Amino acid sequence: MAYLSMGEAHRRITEYLNRFSDAVSFQDGASLKQLLSVSSNSPSLLSLADSLNVFQDANRLIKQSDKYSQFGEITAPFFRCLQSYRIGNLLDAYHAFEKAANAFLPEFRNWESAWALEALYVIAYEIRILAERADRELASNGKSPEKLKGAGSFLMKVFGVLAGKGPKRVGALYVTCQLFKIYFKLGTVHLCRSVIRSIETARIFDFEEFPKRDKVTYMYYTGRLEVFNENFPAADHKLSYALMHCNPHHEANIRMILKYLIPVKLSIGILPQDRLLEKYGLIEYSNVVQALKRGDLRLLRQALQEHEDRFLRSGVFLVLEKLELQVYQRLLKKIYIIQKQRDPSKAHQMKLEVIVKALKWLEIDMDLDEVECIVAILIYKNLVKGYFAHKSKVVVLSKQDPFPKLNAKPVNS
Amino acid sequence: MLMMNQGVNTQTIASVDPNSLEGRYVVDVSQGQTSSYNPTAYESEAASWTMHRVDNHSTENGILSNSSYHHDHQTQQLARSAQDSLNTASLAGSSTQGTMSVTQDHSSYAAYNPTDPYGYGSSGYSSYYNNGYQQQPNHAYSQQQPSHSYSQQQPSHSYSQQQPSHSYSSTGGAYQNTGAPYQPLSSFQNTGSYTGTTSYSTTYYNPGDYQTAGGYPSSGYSNQTSLWNDPNNANYTSQQYSTYAPDTTSAYSSGTAASTSMNYEQHYKQWADYYSQTEVSCAPGTEHLSAASTSNLGSAVSGVYPTSNTQPPASFTPASWRPESASSELPSLQTGATISSTHNGWKQGTPSFQNHHASPMQPHFQISLESKASYDNIQEQQQTAPQAPNSQFPAAHQVTQSYQSTLQNAPSLDTRRVSRMQIPTNPRIASNLALGLSKTNKDGPTNSAAAKPAYISVSMPKPNDKVLSNDATNSMLKPGMFPNSLRRYVERAFNLCKDDTQRVACQAIMKEIITKATADGTLNTRDWDAEPLFAIPNAEAVNMDSQCPTPVSSLSRYKRSPGRRSKSRWEPLPEEKSVDKPVSISNDIVKYDGWERKPPSVNSESKWNALNNMKFSLLEQRFPSKNTQRPAKRQHLADGLNAANNDASSDSDKEQSLTAYYSSAISIANTPEEKKRRESRSKRFEKGQGHRAEINHLKQKNAGAENLYSRRASALMLNKSFDDSGSKAVEDIDWDALTVKGTCQEIEKRYLRLTSAPDPSTVRPEEVLEKALLMVQNSQKNYLYKCDQLKSIRQDLTVQRIQNQLTVKVYETHARLSLEAGDLPEYNQCQSQLKTLYAEGIEGCHMEFAAYNLLCVILHSNNHRDLVSSMSRLTEGAKKDKAVKHALAVRAAVTSGNYVMFFRLYKDGPNLNTCLMDLYVEKMRYKAVSCMSRSYRPTIPISYIARVLGFSRTSDGNDEKDSDGSGLVECVEWMNTHGACLTSDSCGEIQLDTKASSSSLYMPEPEDAVAHGDANLAVNDFLTRTSL
Repeated sequence: MAYLSMGEAHRRITEYLNRFSDAVSFQDGASLKQLLSVSSNSPSLLSLADSLNVFQDANRLIKQSDKYSQFGEITAPFFRCLQSYRIGNLLDAYHAFEKAANAFLPEFRNWESAWALEALYVIAYEIRILAERADRELASNGKSPEKLKGAGSFLMKVFGVLAGKGPKRVGALYVTCQLFKIYFKLGTVHLCRSVIRSIETARIFDFEEFPKRDKVTYMYYTGRLEVFNENFPAADHKLSYALMHCNPHHEANIRMILKYLIPVKLSIGILPQDRLLEKYGLIEYSNVVQALKRGDLRLLRQALQEHEDRFLRSGVFLVLEKLELQVYQRLLKKIYIIQKQRDPSKAHQMKLEVIVKALKWLEIDMDLDEVECIVAILIYKNLVKGYFAHKSKVVVLSKQDPFPKLNAKPVNS
Repeated sequence: MLMMNQGVNTQTIASVDPNSLEGRYVVDVSQGQTSSYNPTAYESEAASWTMHRVDNHSTENGILSNSSYHHDHQTQQLARSAQDSLNTASLAGSSTQGTMSVTQDHSSYAAYNPTDPYGYGSSGYSSYYNNGYQQQPNHAYSQQQPSHSYSQQQPSHSYSQQQPSHSYSSTGGAYQNTGAPYQPLSSFQNTGSYTGTTSYSTTYYNPGDYQTAGGYPSSGYSNQTSLWNDPNNANYTSQQYSTYAPDTTSAYSSGTAASTSMNYEQHYKQWADYYSQTEVSCAPGTEHLSAASTSNLGSAVSGVYPTSNTQPPASFTPASWRPESASSELPSLQTGATISSTHNGWKQGTPSFQNHHASPMQPHFQISLESKASYDNIQEQQQTAPQAPNSQFPAAHQVTQSYQSTLQNAPSLDTRRVSRMQIPTNPRIASNLALGLSKTNKDGPTNSAAAKPAYISVSMPKPNDKVLSNDATNSMLKPGMFPNSLRRYVERAFNLCKDDTQRVACQAIMKEIITKATADGTLNTRDWDAEPLFAIPNAEAVNMDSQCPTPVSSLSRYKRSPGRRSKSRWEPLPEEKSVDKPVSISNDIVKYDGWERKPPSVNSESKWNALNNMKFSLLEQRFPSKNTQRPAKRQHLADGLNAANNDASSDSDKEQSLTAYYSSAISIANTPEEKKRRESRSKRFEKGQGHRAEINHLKQKNAGAENLYSRRASALMLNKSFDDSGSKAVEDIDWDALTVKGTCQEIEKRYLRLTSAPDPSTVRPEEVLEKALLMVQNSQKNYLYKCDQLKSIRQDLTVQRIQNQLTVKVYETHARLSLEAGDLPEYNQCQSQLKTLYAEGIEGCHMEFAAYNLLCVILHSNNHRDLVSSMSRLTEGAKKDKAVKHALAVRAAVTSGNYVMFFRLYKDGPNLNTCLMDLYVEKMRYKAVSCMSRSYRPTIPISYIARVLGFSRTSDGNDEKDSDGSGLVECVEWMNTHGACLTSDSCGEIQLDTKASSSSLYMPEPEDAVAHGDANLAVNDFLTRTSL
């Protein structure tokens, strides 16, 4: 740290205080935002932090004039936060920032217009980031990380401030998304429900009026929730919305969306093009898609096994596993087509033994009972039209559309 | 020596002003304990103690003590340290003794400590004083605490005598006040014949103590009661000992509450017993007395000495002690030894004598300090004596405790003296005797003062304030009412005092100021808060106190744990056990009280009160019986709560005591003050009564049971009292303090949900638990029995915080058993425990249970997220495990609805996977049949269904012929109950008519369904369980 004279430090601190009070008095949200973004590592804030470390008694400066002391409850802890952040003490930085944020909130509530939304966004973002880092620090010290949880409850407070009527409501979705991020990180996604409800049931405000980026984020997270719930049509809708509105240049975001959208689409019978998978680096799905196309059960199982960890982590493993029935369907359909080529009159009668033999070719060893069971399930789930005659061990297929397409509907469960 | 010491003490007392004594006491509290114990005089005794202590160590109590100590340290390092030092001293000497008492104490402490921090805020103190006596209960604690601790001990131990002694300690303050009268007593004590007289004095005190204790429970009363007690004490000391004991006590008790009255009565009885004992023992006692007295002296000295150390009070032989006191621990040990010796004497028959002697000795010491202090000592000694009878070790512990209490008392004495400064000179003592109320007031102050001193010693500023406030309150009470501001002023002044000499000087100045103010009528009008403090010579003594205690405390903690262990050894012995435990408890309590008084006292006070109430009620019950009986028997009675309850004599005693109490209460009730107090008391009473009811309930429950149960009951009571006082947050509980080292040797033990700190005597150590596990594993009895046994094993493991392979084994065994029995809730408990145990790296059948866990999630929670997360947590190695593989296959079968696969897996599941699957079979079959009836046409033979859906016993077709029949019948039955349509084909084979069945299938209501959804809660089942 370069040497900083006391006078210079003093000057920088007062400058910051001036800018802060000016931003508030001119209702300049953009400036205020910059003044509060701790983790942006902007040069001005870094030098301010250095100045604060040189000039230890910043509180006295704040108290010097009414102009400064008006926001002393925000700036004083914020200074402490900057100092701690600068020296890498993230836990203290979080604590101080939370204090500042708590002081900021009532001020924000009192400002009638929503000019300071940008600043509030920064606070919501910073508190999450700081909490995550503080938790990492805590965890590395062997303590239980709980700051993110605290940040979550603070954001719920912020949400309460924003969720009412009026111009500030536009900001609610941003905070909601920050909350989602926290909840997904903490694994407490059930907490999302109350926030979602208040967003989706409020009639005062049209969802479309929220900022686009927030809408995309929101739809992404709620879509993921629907994937967990295996509510594929809803998941498809939400994730498709997110994909449609996502900034096409943000490929990472698109990839994240596709990661969930592809399994959802697969499970409703819609296969992606290989190009798409390649473009967004989602090769792990390509074998799954191939298996679906070919009716290759072995390939599906291999693909699942190969990427099991990844699929389990993202939570789509069970979704992909359920594609197995579609693969069986495809296999039967292939057999049916072959039979039809040989003897169209008997094509709708499929012997169980044939299926067993086909599976053997795929190196999948299943006995008659098992295959019979699979066929029964296929019929039961309406993937195959027809019936099974136990006595003769024959699948009797419907003459009309024996293998109905899913048509964007999920497999009956 | 004892005689000499006593004489010296008395002389010194006479010479030293009450104020000086007070100051000394304050200072002494911290230092005194440490230093006083060191006295070499005890060293010889220490050896004997060590022996005893060793024994104690063997008992498990030690552990508890450690934990509790920690708490104490945290909350009140000073106080604790002092206590700890005492404890440690005892520990060091014998370590076991201290630990013994400590252990129980610890449990109580732990609870206390948490409360203390909360309650303790300085505000609490102020409120204490200010409120006077709503909080006084807390204050009373300082005094009462000793009493409480005793009372607690008594309940557990059935220490009727001890309780009185406890009460003495609390009343100690009163005694101090009566210092003058006591001196005579001390003289009595010196003489062997005096034992009887001493006993009287003690009895008086005891009544006072009891009253205070009762008052505490009642809540509002504590101050009043204490006041009452003090007057009583004063009165007693001066004159009416024999008569007063009953009368005054009753009156006092009435003041406090019905419960207090009960206590008093009991006390009286006890006193009577004491007297008888003392008389009997006199001859033998004399010898013992000499020893005991010496020991007592030592202890008393220790208490005194601290003060003396800080202060000039060399007048006392303590001076010699002081040098010794350098090691506080040793002194405590020595004292403990003396006590133990006295105890021994008691046991022998002479014990009573010894006790008496001891008490006299203490009185002497205290007397030297103050009359009150001596009283406290006496009380303590008495307490210790009772304990001693039970077990020498406990006695030792008690002794140490008594020392602490003496220390505390000493402070209280000081404060009282301040008030007394006026009083002694005043004819009020006599008047007090005449005027129960006025006296009581004085006593109250003294009591509070006593409590305060403890505080002073421990927490530098707060204690002083408290002491001061107590003093002030005392003084106020005496004259009428001193304004709170004055109290604060006095407190401030005392806070500034750094050593005893300063305090003495300070007191003298204070007296002058107050008398002056009273004379010119500005006492109540002056703004004492704004009043500048007079200059005080030094301001370092206080710091000294604080410094000394902390190190000591840590030591004491450690030492205590061994002591507990020693307990375990004792436990096997019925009498000793019971005695020891109670003793230890009482000791601990006492110690704690003393310690807590200082800083933590505020917080702890409420708890203590609650405890006291509880204890008192118990004590009361016990006491009557004890009183009637011989000392030895008393102990026994006291030990067994049940015994007390069962004893008809006890009941009658109670009644008598009650009547006496009520009469006294009525007489007291007239004053307006008294009425106010009553109101506040009545609230407390409700609490106290509640406690009592609980206790009784417990007793009844345990009545049939053995020692273990009674012990547990006492433990429960302690806990409850804690809970009641309970503002403490869970996170404040020091689990270390609650950790127990079990001593129970019985392999079989019924599960009883703990509602209080565990009693080591009911907890089985690891070796026994291992046997118990084996026993359960080999048992032919039913699941409910095994479950009960395993739960008790788990509980014992938990309270002892044993987390090793045995723990894992127990949980695994239980989990398997519950799986076999289909008891999912129980299984889930075990599973969650196992999860953490495995996570800590303890080896077990990790894979097996990972598989169970997986199956559980798949089959019973049906939560995709949970499933995914538990699957993602499986390691590569785990996935290769047979059981886990099986579980994963089951999962696949379930998610795909592959019933054929499911039932194949069902048939060859490893371990108990099948048991878990069992619970899902019904659902799976129903799904399968629905599926079949949709996809098959026209019919399916039942034999196929029976085979595929696992109705046949054997796996798949080969052995079909053998099992076929039974499987078919079951299958048909199942089909019928689920609404399937069955037909017969031409060959007579039963077929499922799929088309008809597809619309007629239904899931029948489970036959054993109950409205509340948990079949386990069905009445019949419950009854069968309870009748086990």
